[in-house]
Amino acid sequence: MGKVKIKRKSTLIDMTAMSDVTVLLLTFFMLTSTFLQKEPTIVYTPSSVSEEKVPMNNVVTVLVSSADKSGKLDNPEIAEGKIFISFTGDADSTFSSENIRGMMLDEALSIYNEQHKNNPIQLTAQQKAEFRSTNMFGVPFQVLPKMLSMPLTERDKFQGDMTNPEVGIPIDGNKNRDGRLNDFQIWLKAIYNVAQRINNEQAEGLSSEERQNLSNLYTALMRRGQGIAVKADKDTPFTTVQQVFDNLQTMKLNKFSLMTALKSEDEPTN
Amino acid sequence: MAQIEQSSGGKKKKGAQKKMSIHVDFTPMVDMNMLLITFFMLCTTMIKSQTLQIVLPTNEDVKKEQQSQAKQSEAITLILDTEYTDDKPTVDAETGKTIHNIYYYEGIADTTFSTPKYLRKEQFIGNMNHQPQGIRKILRSKNEEVMKEYESLKDRWKNKEITKEEFDQLAKKNAADSLKTRPVVVIKPGPNTTYEGLINAIDEMNINQISRYSIELPSHTDTVLLRHFEQANNETIIRPTVRTTSTNL
Repeated sequence: MGKVKIKRKSTLIDMTAMSDVTVLLLTFFMLTSTFLQKEPTIVYTPSSVSEEKVPMNNVVTVLVSSADKSGKLDNPEIAEGKIFISFTGDADSTFSSENIRGMMLDEALSIYNEQHKNNPIQLTAQQKAEFRSTNMFGVPFQVLPKMLSMPLTERDKFQGDMTNPEVGIPIDGNKNRDGRLNDFQIWLKAIYNVAQRINNEQAEGLSSEERQNLSNLYTALMRRGQGIAVKADKDTPFTTVQQVFDNLQTMKLNKFSLMTALKSEDEPTN
Repeated sequence: MAQIEQSSGGKKKKGAQKKMSIHVDFTPMVDMNMLLITFFMLCTTMIKSQTLQIVLPTNEDVKKEQQSQAKQSEAITLILDTEYTDDKPTVDAETGKTIHNIYYYEGIADTTFSTPKYLRKEQFIGNMNHQPQGIRKILRSKNEEVMKEYESLKDRWKNKEITKEEFDQLAKKNAADSLKTRPVVVIKPGPNTTYEGLINAIDEMNINQISRYSIELPSHTDTVLLRHFEQANNETIIRPTVRTTSTNL
């Protein structure tokens, strides 16, 4: 009698196919991904039926913080209405985010120092380099040197603390474009001046492609009203957002966009 | 990781080449890829935010004569308000959405209160069974001529007679067609309105193809109207503002 042979099966599973699939998926995600930009505070935007996308490039985002939702604070509204600004330039050109930020910082500082001759701000080259790589910031000019000399993690923590009176770009007062501007208005003016200067510099020594980039930047920033996007929480009272609008109006930037999430027309609004 | 297995079949012939089958174990590779995928999935934003374009007038003092006065029959004023409990917006238990109220009137403010139900209350309800409800229904009926044309354009676009670009262009032209009767809407967000309330109102303008609207702050007349409405309906609308922080309005 022959013995019944038990076939020894190898337990190895061929992972090649699996590997193929995962690599494909990985490629897909790598190509489609746009990274979440780090923001000091989270806001939940209201939704609208507008299908227009937020532009990827050449956009200035004005973030308005919402009241504290964690319930840890006695008066949650202390965290409300802090202003943060972020600049995004062209994807890759001479007008990358870094360069644009540098130009705007220089412009803003010169405006500020002209208006506050007794108390001018001087930044070191190191601090300026730090600013160029910072996506979103929100401190008054006087706190800028302090904030920029902090190490990265500490800076995030500093800016993320909405109860700190040193956080948030000052926005009150002044309804006169030629008067003494508040910090937020100085930034807006700097943005405007830089955009305009870039547009005027179109002259010599540039290839047609570079020239195209320049005018794209300018129109995107200023003309189409897509250059400035206001991002605020849905539960933030209108009066707080109105202050931002008011400042934009004062600086004659009457055309801007409001960031919203998408919803369908049939969805109930309340 | 790679394994080289000798073929186990039969006796070995002398001089015959060894048959080698090569197995490379891909499991660690898959593990790593999965980790990377997880990383990218968590770090990406697939849905990009949308934007609503808005144009505000300059806040410089404009002389009364220079202001373009809207025709009385065309004007609708919406006074927005958001309900609050304590210092948080009231949320509807069923839908989980914040409750916004709209008080609206047509024409110029009637402070003689001779017209009954002059000021009326509505809400943002959206569509129900594809039929506009609430304030959308009212705005739509005011902009009927434009909307009819808009819908025929939409049908043409859906039947692929025109491209999306053509549709957008025609719709824009249609919304601004001065030959049609179009309303002028004045949006007045009250002091307790949340940002969402305002966005909802602007959204209704877009949905109803209303090209002429403005955002203003409520005037004294509006307060008078609301007070009257309060008395007639035994409701409290005008409440102390939730945010005591002074705003330079």
